[in-house]
Amino acid sequence: MSSYRCVFVMGVEQALEYRMSFFLSMLSAAFPIVIQTTMWNYLYRHSDAAAVFGYQQGEILLYTLLATIVSQLGGTGFEWEMNSDIKMGGLNKYLIRPVEYKGYQFFRFLGQKIPRLMVIGPVMTVIIGGAVWQGLPVSPGRVLVFLGSLILGAILNFSIFYCIGLLAFWLTDVDKLFGTISIVLTVVSGGVFPLDIFGGLVEILVNLAPFGYTTQFPVNIINGRFGWERMGVGFVFQTGWILVFVCLGEAMWRRGIRRYAAVGG
Amino acid sequence: MTKIRRYCKLMGVFAKYSLMSALEYRINFVTGMTVEMGWMVIKLMYVAIIYKAGTNIGILTPDHILLFIGTYVLMTGIYMLYFGNFCSIPGMVQQGELDLYLVKPVSLQFLVTMRRLEFAYLLPNLAAGVFMIVTGWRLAGLPVSAASIAGFLFYLACGCLLTYSLFLVPYILGFWIISVGGISDISNALWDFNNMPSMIYGKWFRRVGTYILPIFVITNFPGLFLMGELSPFSCVWGAAAPVLFFVLVRIFWKISLKRYSSASS
Repeated sequence: MSSYRCVFVMGVEQALEYRMSFFLSMLSAAFPIVIQTTMWNYLYRHSDAAAVFGYQQGEILLYTLLATIVSQLGGTGFEWEMNSDIKMGGLNKYLIRPVEYKGYQFFRFLGQKIPRLMVIGPVMTVIIGGAVWQGLPVSPGRVLVFLGSLILGAILNFSIFYCIGLLAFWLTDVDKLFGTISIVLTVVSGGVFPLDIFGGLVEILVNLAPFGYTTQFPVNIINGRFGWERMGVGFVFQTGWILVFVCLGEAMWRRGIRRYAAVGG
Repeated sequence: MTKIRRYCKLMGVFAKYSLMSALEYRINFVTGMTVEMGWMVIKLMYVAIIYKAGTNIGILTPDHILLFIGTYVLMTGIYMLYFGNFCSIPGMVQQGELDLYLVKPVSLQFLVTMRRLEFAYLLPNLAAGVFMIVTGWRLAGLPVSAASIAGFLFYLACGCLLTYSLFLVPYILGFWIISVGGISDISNALWDFNNMPSMIYGKWFRRVGTYILPIFVITNFPGLFLMGELSPFSCVWGAAAPVLFFVLVRIFWKISLKRYSSASS
């Protein structure tokens, strides 16, 4: 366990290596929020948007504020390194060490989240406080459930991207494919807009597919759209999808490692 | 004049080799296009929301907004054509790769920023952008005359020069600091402010975005010209700002280049 603790600390240190760059990156995440809140405020002031989109103004604004933050918290990036390890032979060093590759990536992923959490935590507290002040039904119980779903959402996102990273065992050039997958998953997870505003079939697909459980589900818990029953069903789906992707990752690793040719002397 | 012709010829050679390289790795070319299509989905979601709400933004109807977002999509494609060259500048500075280019008998800035063109990123944006512009233009009932088309194309060209000048600055900072990741994140986020017409933002925000950091000039002025909504002063500013910022970025490049120390023996 101590080796994983070291990996965790290394993740924290890596995230803080270029501090100014780190804080500017965090700041850049605020820009899409400005664009979207401006747009929603305008639309709600000048049209019957609540009836059209099915969200009250407070709900959609809270969604916009929190979806970007939740996406930032769950965001990955290790899949590029996995690709490089598999292609360039960097995987060798993990195979001969008493550390599991998946565990190594997971604890480094967690470590890299800590500095983000230190910035995002207070911001999120202020936003939730503001939501309570605005009269949204945010109880302490709901906040706890939200935090639980946030942790599970981050684990689910890790599991999905771990499987995507393992595709490097089979595909020759995955760099741009990763880019595409990452963007598409941001959209289908509700990281840009809540997809249920498009109604009908889209809403059903979001509820069934795993991606909405990384962003849209946690955010809709805190903005009061889900009742306790709907939350319970959501948690079953979220946990179920984590199990599916963990098993899929294990199966892919076992098959992929057989194809792996270690490079280097 | 001879110099301009020489650089146009060079640009043609860069385009030819970039295209040949793109067609050599066809899968990479296709996946590159899918990355851009992913981003485009996000831009199209804004259009979908505006049409779903069915409301005007100031004097802009949803059809006008389609034209504005189409212009933004087209300009994104043109920017992405050479964006990869910007990203590689800090790495070239750190690893001393500029040595190779310094000795060539052409402008170093031109060579470094235009040598590789990504047609995979241009094509989807070009197709979708032109389609959205033509559709928005027709639906909004805007005049179709030689003068209006020429004016629209003139402000598009001005927007291209302004994009190049404004968004090169963060990457030139690579001569001064080690990690420009955060600054480039900020500049990319600034670009996204054009996702919606500038009229949606507040008065002061719009003034800053038009006269101090003129990102709104890039994608708003062509549409505003078509609508006859550009004041005489704005018409002049739309043409002068690109020249002014190009001169400034040229000076900044020359000053920054003096900080470069060769890595070879």
